[in-house]
Amino acid sequence: MISSKRLDGWKFLLFIAPWLIGFTIFFLLPFGTAVFYAFTDARLPGSTDFNFIGMSNFSTLMGDPIFGKSVANTIYFVLLGVPIVTTGMLLIALLLNLDVKGIALFRTFYYLPTLVPIVATVIIWRLVFNSEFGVLNGFLGLFGMGKVNWLGGAGMIKPVIILLQIWISGSGVLIFLAALKGVPSHLYEAALIDGASRIRRFFSITLPMISPSILFVLVIQTMYNFQMFTEAMLLSNGGPNYASYTYVFHIYKAAFTDLKFSMAMAQSIILFAMILAVTMFILKASNRFVYYEGEGRG
Amino acid sequence: MNVSYKRSKAASKALSYILLIGVLALFTGPLLWMLSTMLKTKAETYKYPPSLFPETVTFEAFERLFTLQPLMWQWIGNSVLISVLVALGTVVSSSLAAYGFARFDNRAKNGLFFIVLITLMIPASVMIVPSFVLYTKLGWIDTWLPLIVPAWLGGAYYIFLFRQFFMTIPRELDEATYLDGGGRFTVYSRIVMPLSKPIIITASIFAFVYSWLDFLGPFLYLKSSENYTLSVGLQFLIGQTSQDFPALAAGAFISILPIGVIYFFAQRYIVEGVVLTGSKG
Repeated sequence: MISSKRLDGWKFLLFIAPWLIGFTIFFLLPFGTAVFYAFTDARLPGSTDFNFIGMSNFSTLMGDPIFGKSVANTIYFVLLGVPIVTTGMLLIALLLNLDVKGIALFRTFYYLPTLVPIVATVIIWRLVFNSEFGVLNGFLGLFGMGKVNWLGGAGMIKPVIILLQIWISGSGVLIFLAALKGVPSHLYEAALIDGASRIRRFFSITLPMISPSILFVLVIQTMYNFQMFTEAMLLSNGGPNYASYTYVFHIYKAAFTDLKFSMAMAQSIILFAMILAVTMFILKASNRFVYYEGEGRG
Repeated sequence: MNVSYKRSKAASKALSYILLIGVLALFTGPLLWMLSTMLKTKAETYKYPPSLFPETVTFEAFERLFTLQPLMWQWIGNSVLISVLVALGTVVSSSLAAYGFARFDNRAKNGLFFIVLITLMIPASVMIVPSFVLYTKLGWIDTWLPLIVPAWLGGAYYIFLFRQFFMTIPRELDEATYLDGGGRFTVYSRIVMPLSKPIIITASIFAFVYSWLDFLGPFLYLKSSENYTLSVGLQFLIGQTSQDFPALAAGAFISILPIGVIYFFAQRYIVEGVVLTGSKG
């Protein structure tokens, strides 16, 4: 006779069984395999013909100039892209938070691009940014500007991708908008009585009050930009001249075109460690600027 | 004094609208350009400077698209089927697990739920290659199984979503069911789930939309063109006819259409889902 408490424990496991099985098979197992393969020279997925080569995958990477380029581009997207995209989201959210007639209509449309499948986004951007027939160069032509080679120029492609990120930044805007709505209006009223200017009110009230959301969006966007790949692959295939060739692009290439699976595994593990370290750093540094209501300065 | 105050207020209102319209143009302009392009003749898209609106509105682009790529219907069907199965599996499996985490008193519970939350923070691209190896060993490459089966085995984000909602349902209702002789599963199926319609709608819309938007998964796992989803098919199409701008625009439009319709009818649920935990793929 099983005690009812024991029986209930089994029932608990039964309910969470889908997740438990999924977590084990689709996360623990591949992750464990990745760590194992990273120290071998396996070339194909599932091949049994391989040797242990210790750390050589890692040391080979360090001497690979293309790997260096991919790291440099990824750092660009993280250090420059993340602050630009996050600031863009915040400015758009502030604008959409204005109390004017018809604002609901504006709010409906800014989220639409976020829901566009990425391949469609790329088709649309190629139509807009096409150097010969695109609407953007046509528009700039009205002001006497010459045709700009947006997608084919090594100097332009990274800024164009960051602009694309702003175009599909609806989720971040939505989070900021919700945070802005959550700022208690009595704070603004008090500040108005004290004669605080609009800019002063933004920096002394709005910014501290929404700082938890800023932290959240910053962390998510940093993780996302570390993994920048699909946009760069579809829009410019990593080019021109490796200008949009990112870290994850290098993983993809190692695994699926160069057939060096073990190398790709090693790169995946480095990526994981890097993202973990940077996220920890942001969370730690955030103590200085994030304000949690009711706790004082955290 | 009063006049100048009013004037500055009117000026700031005008400025607000100018900025708002600027942002609206940034967000919808490219979409409008897609609509304009897909209704043009092929010849008209090779003009410089480009015409903002089609000179003659024509649906030729759609005809060309479907003749050039007879698999279009198949791809649309595949995408719909996969996304529906993903949405269904997500709701069933994640709600079950969430119920376990919300309602049981178990020593292992908190530790396991912590792991659920941690997996939310694992960067997806770290798993691309390891998962590919797994699916190769399972013999799942060029099937829809890698896209569908994981959804039937619980997703961390959705488990969290459901759990948060279940916590708000009063436990007194559970007790009443136990007194009537019902068990755990009766509470789940007769009490908790019927009271959770809003979150079920949010979760199924999210799961459907994200499955529809997924590119990398289908792109890596599907090999034969008749198995493609619409996104992968479109990517294939770009390689096939990169200079037929109206046909490409038409293809893009078709891939946006279902989600656009869902968004306009269920905007509230999508907004709630994003704000609730701030999902970002």
